[in-house]
Amino acid sequence: MSFIHLHVHSPYSFLDGASSIDRLLEKAQALKMPALALTDHNRLTGVIRFYEKAKACGIKPIIGAEVDVEDGQHLTLLCKDRQGYSNLCRLLTEAHLSNRSGQPHATRETLCQFRYGLITLSGCRMGAIPSLVSRGKYEEAVRAACFYRDVYGDDFFIELINHPSQESLSDSYYLAQFARQQKLPVVATNNVHYAEMNDYAIKELLNAIDQNIPVSRLQGHRAVEQYLKSSEEMAGLFRDIPEALANTENIASQCNLELELGKPCFPKFTLLEGETEYSYLSKLAYQGAQRKYGSLPPRVKQRLEYELDTINKLGFCGYFLAVWDIVRWVRERGIRCQARGSAVDSLVVYVLNISIVDPVEHDLLFERFMHPLRHEPPDIDLDVDRRRRDEVRDYIRGKYGTENVACVATINTYMARGAIRDVGKALQMPQEIIEEACNGIHWLSASQLLEYVDSRPELKKSKIYKRPELADFFKLCAAIDGFPKHLSVHLGGLLIGDGRLSDLVPLEWSSGGDIISQYDKDDIEKLGIVKMDILSLPTMTVIEDTLAGIEKDHSVSIDLDNIPGDDSAAFAMLRDGKTVGTFQLESPAQREMAGRLLPEQFEDIIVSISLVRPGPLKSNMDKLYLPRRHGKEPVTYLHPKLKPALGETLGVILYQEQVLKVAHDLAGMSYAEADGFRRAMTHDRTDEEMEKMRESFITSCQQNGMSRKIAEEVFEQLAAFAAYGFCKAHAVAYAVLAYQTLWLKCHYPAEFFAAVLSNQPMGYYPPRVLVDEAKRSGVRVLPPDINYSHDRYAVEDGAIRISLRQLKGMSDEALDSILSARAQGRFTSLRDFILRTNVSWPIIESLARVGAFESLGSREEVCSQLPRLSTLKRSASRGIRSLFVEVCADSGTVPKIVDNTATERMLIERELLSLNLSAHPMDILPTGNGITRMKDLRSVATGDTVHIAGSVIRYQTPPTRNGHRVLYVIMEDGTGIADVTVFSDVQEKCGQVLFREGWLIVEGKVQRRGPKALSIVAERLAPIYTKQSV
Amino acid sequence: MSKLISEPVKAHIDHDSMLAAFIWRRRLYRVVEVYSWWWEPSEWWHGKAARFFIRVSALNSSEGIYELYRLGEQWFLSKVLD
Repeated sequence: MSFIHLHVHSPYSFLDGASSIDRLLEKAQALKMPALALTDHNRLTGVIRFYEKAKACGIKPIIGAEVDVEDGQHLTLLCKDRQGYSNLCRLLTEAHLSNRSGQPHATRETLCQFRYGLITLSGCRMGAIPSLVSRGKYEEAVRAACFYRDVYGDDFFIELINHPSQESLSDSYYLAQFARQQKLPVVATNNVHYAEMNDYAIKELLNAIDQNIPVSRLQGHRAVEQYLKSSEEMAGLFRDIPEALANTENIASQCNLELELGKPCFPKFTLLEGETEYSYLSKLAYQGAQRKYGSLPPRVKQRLEYELDTINKLGFCGYFLAVWDIVRWVRERGIRCQARGSAVDSLVVYVLNISIVDPVEHDLLFERFMHPLRHEPPDIDLDVDRRRRDEVRDYIRGKYGTENVACVATINTYMARGAIRDVGKALQMPQEIIEEACNGIHWLSASQLLEYVDSRPELKKSKIYKRPELADFFKLCAAIDGFPKHLSVHLGGLLIGDGRLSDLVPLEWSSGGDIISQYDKDDIEKLGIVKMDILSLPTMTVIEDTLAGIEKDHSVSIDLDNIPGDDSAAFAMLRDGKTVGTFQLESPAQREMAGRLLPEQFEDIIVSISLVRPGPLKSNMDKLYLPRRHGKEPVTYLHPKLKPALGETLGVILYQEQVLKVAHDLAGMSYAEADGFRRAMTHDRTDEEMEKMRESFITSCQQNGMSRKIAEEVFEQLAAFAAYGFCKAHAVAYAVLAYQTLWLKCHYPAEFFAAVLSNQPMGYYPPRVLVDEAKRSGVRVLPPDINYSHDRYAVEDGAIRISLRQLKGMSDEALDSILSARAQGRFTSLRDFILRTNVSWPIIESLARVGAFESLGSREEVCSQLPRLSTLKRSASRGIRSLFVEVCADSGTVPKIVDNTATERMLIERELLSLNLSAHPMDILPTGNGITRMKDLRSVATGDTVHIAGSVIRYQTPPTRNGHRVLYVIMEDGTGIADVTVFSDVQEKCGQVLFREGWLIVEGKVQRRGPKALSIVAERLAPIYTKQSV
Repeated sequence: MSKLISEPVKAHIDHDSMLAAFIWRRRLYRVVEVYSWWWEPSEWWHGKAARFFIRVSALNSSEGIYELYRLGEQWFLSKVLD
């Protein structure tokens, strides 16, 4: 007889399951178990991957959940079939959504309502019946049993868990006796929480983290027995109750859920009578095309017909109509929006006004987006103004019904830092150890931490990772590596169901109050549910704000779709790397690329965006392309037939679309076959599969008159670049936005920076760097002022006025109070401010310290009034307005407010505004002579050694071709930004400062990788306070 | 009913690594039947390993039920059960 585990928890029980699904399945396979259930606590988050993996390893997956019912009691539910799955999804949804702030639980009514297709077990020791029997409440147990028997009939079983300790044995004995008396069938489970017994410590650790208590204070039943036991072990435990074992097989044989994975299900689009989805889509597409092109050129007409026909044949007309409808609504309301990704390859997407990029003009290929051989639903991603994204979501909810729309979840998992913090807290490790252990870690998983402890300089140089007494601690951190912690809202994904979503996927509340799926985007795609990526793009908001600012300040209305595409000033700025704040072009890598590529036209921006990606850089595409671009190397083609496909990029394969064109032009593949070929080369494949593809490609090329040798060379190039090429359609869409922001920054820097600063957080750089950059762009920056500043950054006589919101500790209430009082008239004195606003004293003090009252008098003057007026404030807060109270100084309660040295002022600004306004620390810090300011680096000769000093903006470790880690440190000193490259030898030498220090002195050589691409190759790094050591 | 003992005993292990007999207070108890065995959690955060327990019927002058556990190589009689 075979035993089947019907009650199994994985890490998707969120801090209650200690073995991954893979480990559980490996163990079940080793134990030759024909089936295995997954019953995570109140959720199905892990079931799709469990279902697929179990099937792949020949184990029958049984899907279920351990559900909380009233009074926190547990019940184990298993799906017999599709109806059972839907009912479980709806039951879990109801359990979560009806308990927004508390623990999810299903009521008796919910259990009754969604009972069909489910087999129900009475649950673990926390089940209603087991706990009542164990406490001797026999009558109540009988009543509970009657309820479940009435609801589930023969599909209700008493769950026996037999852990051979005295307590568990007696519980199990009395429960079996109860079942016999009530004539209820019994079934054996082991309430599995881990694959192997030794993992019980991990489970307890997770429980302690979940309860936010030290592990030593865990309450309640502790066990080491909740592991995936063998059939023999289970047989030994239930030798007196063989039917409990036999019933595991009986139940498993009744659970035959087959999930239809991969079959798309689209929402129905409501149409006028007589219209089909195809006819309506065609009508809209042709109308749109006529608006865009006037009379249609034959190739446009032909392409439109082909695309519409393909969309129709694949059954996606409804999806296109749904997206069209959303974008139509969005544009009608003036919400900035555009498509991104491969959807931009489609002419239908363009003529429906979903995308602003003409695929005919840019020679984009529809088949990169969709074709008949691709068995996946198309994915049209939309970027919308961040501030108005919720309006779009609400429209979709209204259109398709609240029940049919939800946000996609993201599963947040443990990385090294999170694991160290949580495990450290549960084990009551000293905080300084936790901090020290976290400090040197840069984007590592906890298991990588152990792997790299002897090779990464920043880890090697730190003794903490090698302290023998901490070895077990780090092992525990690694043990929970990658385990899910909680769900959060996916940035853009919205689900639209063809009917009620909770029939297909359980829903729950996010911490922010959104309704989210229990599945992540990958599992949603497998289920075939339509996912619309409507992403909040702050750049859209910045553009809107900048345009509004320009209109207000300059009375000019700008149509960004019609700005000149070859603005020489904008391109000059790009070539000089002055792109901080712009979309896609501001990163150090992009700024360096601009200095190497020297862009002159819009197409160069497309190239730049495509080149600065891990893949292209790893495969040295830049080194092939740039010399050709600058005429240093001839533009050659392996075969003249390659010229049409590769001409635009001077014979180098940069775009994925080009792979399709080459395969089509040379090997005679259809574009659909060519996309299949590209995908096959991109994904993991065996040597055999690769050889087959190679041979087939070469033979086809030969049939088209090409020599074998050339065909082989072309294939090698395709194989090398296919995986790394970038989707041109996506690059074009982003290049449009990039150029728009570049143009705005170039011609309206004040409005542009005010908008960027008002929409933080966004982009690559913190506000202090953006403010410095605004100053370098010739814009004056004014300090915050209670009479002039707003809740956002604003332009005032051509200068940027710092927002009141920038002040540390500023609350919405205080801000509202200041702005509404000011609307009645400007503040005339500090006393007036105190009396007319409801702002807390710490905020008033902070405002005074940063000089926000300077329109009323000098900072010192205002600060000197503070002690005297603090009593007035206290009285005003209590509603007392005495004429005499303000003269009663109470200096004892007021701290020293201001010291007016330049250093003090700068420190106050950094502390309270996180900005460098009156000065930069580098202007004051005693770094001594010999430091080159960053603005002067351009005049230093290549190869010369310099010392630079400044604060670290960011550390970066992009992937490299040879796998050796190169570290980029982006620094600023108030006069400019410097990009520092740290190779592995210097990382070894200076490991102790990497990732730990915020201020550095760097000694290094000036390097120029292009006419205007300057960086520093570090030779030594040191913390700024030990300049002598450099 | 059971009586807590928690005293070290000298154990004799058979070829199958199971407890065959133990000496407690200088008297030999031969194991007649192993009812069950299990592990119990420890203070693992202090480096302590899980404890192995065994419940047996053992014969001295008369047959009784005994619960023993092992800590490292040392065995202890945990309880005598009625």
